Amino acid sequence: MSKVQPEKNPVSSAGAQREDRRSRSREQSRYKFGKLNEYTTAMIEWYGWEHRYWRVVVMLVVLVLFVFSMTVPMSLAVQSVYAATMLVIALFLRRYTGTLFTLVMVVFSVNQSSRYLYWRMTETLVLDNWVDGTFGIILLLAEIYAWMVLLLGYAQTIWPLKRKPEPMPEDTALWPSVDIYITTYDEPLRVVRPTVLAALAIDWPRDRLNIYLLDDGRREEFREFAESVGITHLTRDNNFHAKAGNINAALTKTSGEFVAIFDCDHIPARSFLQMTMGWFLRDSKLGMIQTPHHFLSPDPFERNLGTFRRVPNEGELFYGLIQDGNDLWNATFFCGSCAVTRRSILLEIGGVAVETVTEDAHTALKMHRMGYTTAYISIPQAAGLATESLSAHVGQRIRWARGMAQIFRVDNPLFGKGLSLMQRLCYSNAMLHFFYGLPRIIFLTAPLSYLFFQAHIINAEALIIAAYAIPHLAHANLTNSRMQGAHRHSFWAELYESTLAWYILRPTLVALIDPKFGKFNVTAKGGLVEKEFLDWQIGAPYLIMLVLNIAGLLTGFVRLFWWNSFEAQTVILNLIWTIYNLVLLGATMAVATEAKQVRANHRVNCNQKAMLKLNGGSRVVCRASDYSEGGLGLIMPDAGMAPLHSEVRVSLFMGVREFVFPARVVFARDTVVGIEFEDLSLQQQMDLVQCTLARADAWLDWTDNRVVDRPMKGLQEILFHSMKGYGHLWHYLMKRVGSTRPQGVEDKKPEQDGFYQNISKKITGKGTRETMLHRLSGFMEKGRVVLQKSGNFVRARLVRDRT
Amino acid sequence: MTVIAVISPKGGVGKTTVAVNLASAMAENGRVVRLVDMDPQNALRLHLGADPGDVNGLVHQTLQQSSWYYTEYDSAYGVSFIPYGRVSEVERITFEAYLSQTPNWLRDNIAELDHDPAGLTIIDTPPGPSVYVQQVLSIANLVLVVMIPDAGSYATLPAIEGLLDYYCAHRSDFYGSYYVLNQFDAEHPLNRDIKNVMQNTLGERLAPHSIHRDESLSEALAFQQPAANYAPHSQAVDDLAQLAVWLENKVARVAR
Repeated sequence: MSKVQPEKNPVSSAGAQREDRRSRSREQSRYKFGKLNEYTTAMIEWYGWEHRYWRVVVMLVVLVLFVFSMTVPMSLAVQSVYAATMLVIALFLRRYTGTLFTLVMVVFSVNQSSRYLYWRMTETLVLDNWVDGTFGIILLLAEIYAWMVLLLGYAQTIWPLKRKPEPMPEDTALWPSVDIYITTYDEPLRVVRPTVLAALAIDWPRDRLNIYLLDDGRREEFREFAESVGITHLTRDNNFHAKAGNINAALTKTSGEFVAIFDCDHIPARSFLQMTMGWFLRDSKLGMIQTPHHFLSPDPFERNLGTFRRVPNEGELFYGLIQDGNDLWNATFFCGSCAVTRRSILLEIGGVAVETVTEDAHTALKMHRMGYTTAYISIPQAAGLATESLSAHVGQRIRWARGMAQIFRVDNPLFGKGLSLMQRLCYSNAMLHFFYGLPRIIFLTAPLSYLFFQAHIINAEALIIAAYAIPHLAHANLTNSRMQGAHRHSFWAELYESTLAWYILRPTLVALIDPKFGKFNVTAKGGLVEKEFLDWQIGAPYLIMLVLNIAGLLTGFVRLFWWNSFEAQTVILNLIWTIYNLVLLGATMAVATEAKQVRANHRVNCNQKAMLKLNGGSRVVCRASDYSEGGLGLIMPDAGMAPLHSEVRVSLFMGVREFVFPARVVFARDTVVGIEFEDLSLQQQMDLVQCTLARADAWLDWTDNRVVDRPMKGLQEILFHSMKGYGHLWHYLMKRVGSTRPQGVEDKKPEQDGFYQNISKKITGKGTRETMLHRLSGFMEKGRVVLQKSGNFVRARLVRDRT
Repeated sequence: MTVIAVISPKGGVGKTTVAVNLASAMAENGRVVRLVDMDPQNALRLHLGADPGDVNGLVHQTLQQSSWYYTEYDSAYGVSFIPYGRVSEVERITFEAYLSQTPNWLRDNIAELDHDPAGLTIIDTPPGPSVYVQQVLSIANLVLVVMIPDAGSYATLPAIEGLLDYYCAHRSDFYGSYYVLNQFDAEHPLNRDIKNVMQNTLGERLAPHSIHRDESLSEALAFQQPAANYAPHSQAVDDLAQLAVWLENKVARVAR
């Protein structure tokens, strides 16, 4: 059993970058010392906490104060002063580090939001005419939903457990037997192969590790492949219940004490089992342990917005924070892949749940109801492909939303036996969260009801509304930025939710009414987007909302000056809201513009030692900067060392072990060399996966390029993408108009820069000139890349000769 | 001052190349390094840009009852060297006969030279047992055995171990003997297997970084330079730099 040996990272530029980042974050880091910290420590150590009597008294006092501050009516002036004071205190506390300060900020936020809602319910509802009443109640309901989700979210993530891996016993004879299930249905072998090869390389006693390829497609090609690598190919004669059924069928045929489950495109690291299994040995009631789903390719949001690895993606909040928060309450959800389950417990609950389309979450719920525990380890130990296109992404989210709504109906976590209060709350939040469709659309259109129909949805003076709403929103944003900042940037939730809102609205409502209605759909992976295009179909509902909001904006301006101009303040308030909505809608347009995807195999950035044996027999030390299934990008120490098309041997290292692969140079420019592997034997393919994707440390430094979250920065990012979205919209709208012109009318574009034309957007990113060049190498054949340095960035522009 | 002997059981394993490039890597790390060529091939000096026509060497100085002081050369690469000298057959036979009669010859001559306390003297030897190897092993503080990853080399392991036991093991100023694989090519399964076997047999005594087979080393000799100057980015140079650090750590540990 070889120990995991993470390789050091000696490249100086990367080290310098990291150091740079560290010193930057030090500036922003919160105070750890000072008087306030001394006071709080003294308070925490107060002897009264030991006595029940004191605790009850303190709780009562706090409760009275809380309810009082929530409900007491105030005039505009007093409310403004109160709100401003609270906000200033929150802004001050925000600079301190520590959970206690987070808790204080949460209490502030809950207080302010509750106060806002209480005020809304008691003073701003007018039911004497039906227009105001209907719109007002609809908006209020949406706000109550948002408030509930906010509170549940705080409860869920208040204190992330951050569980560490439990070491395995020294004596490997004590290590249990594990079955690895790799489930596949219609994915091509190309996608499945690396996963299987990586699974074969997992460090575990060979006699206690069995790998099964659960092929619901019953393909001959897969059977042959499984045989050639010495794993078992399992099929069944039906496809009932899709993946859940597939796993359940396999459970009857295998016998390992534990079952590790992988989707066919999640490539496990060799340390996967050693990182996870320890907890099973320590806790005999542990039924399932989950690790994050890490994605090595950008999801549609990241790809279309160009934010890969810089802005946390949609799933990261869940895997980075929510699951860790759930873990504290013993409410970690099963996510269907990259997890290990204990067979006995899985069988006791009747196998993987089949009643809903999100079988994974339901399975964990069943375990919890039986009194078993689940755990989460927030270290990426497997990586997979993200969904390729926005429509596929939306399809996947629809399935999750529908499944969660189904569970809410058929096995509601709020009722039934066996769950603790916090488990009920965590599950409810997970499910309630997916009902954001309707509220989100209400928020996106609410100001229109006033601008068009003059419905007073919030019956109060504009200034008073601001005095109540601003602290509510500001505290929620500040607190969330503090709690989630590392895993979701401020305001990005708004974008993610807005984009998906329309599509998950219907499935969730339908599932709520009739949980059995609807069909299970599998998300397609591995496709290509050949040309940038605007997905009109996905974008349609948002286009409609966008047009409505623009109409609202115009109406608002008209009302401000010419017609019905007696409520200028209220109009302005609604205009600001409309503009914010337009910003969000513009950003959804940017998401709906599918960026071009040129490669079938994704490049994964890396930085590891490599060696190139050149044709003449000399060997050169170099570094691998990225890998893909078929090739490798190398940074050479000197330009012109490896001529184009020459045959080479490339060595990769794992500790001091060396693996050699035959390859050919397919790209060479300056010090950047791209190679393509040639005729790798099966053993070589296994070795390659082992020293690249399946490395134990392969995913440890993936958040290195992150920028620290700041609320205003988040807003700025969204604004930027929104502007881009409008740019795209204009471009494709003109194109559409152009294409419907009668034949013979040529649309002549003015030539740019004489003979150059941009064929790609500016590609910007951090990195040295070499890394930029390398990242661009895929485009090189199509044109010339012009690099220019601007500040700490290297900006690259692709130009093509116009001949 | 520490004396490092570079020996090998067989010829053609690149011992001289390893000695020179190791010395150059150690000099790069700021050490004062002196190379002594005890191999009648007299090839060491060619790695360091010496004049091929110069016949002077330690044999002549010895036969003339003079000091090595007059045959120590400075190279442009941070190491000084004492060549064996170009000699006739008669001179060599006379010299070797003299050596077998004067077991302390090497010890005395080295002691006469100026020494940096933290300096290193690296002595290159002819392959296999000989009067030269006897004398070198009798005074070496540390022995580096250069092997190539083939079965023949591996078979000589017991003989080398016997030699080391006889000359070195009992001395209190002996730090230990270490092995390094030269001309390693991971592409050949046999190379990898031999490395594994040697790792199992020798454990910590086998240098973790083998020196890769690399044309740059031969090319560097053709240009009469250490490889680090000729091809600074070559893998073998990198391996040798790692080996230098590894060996220096061994020396430092004992010295402390």
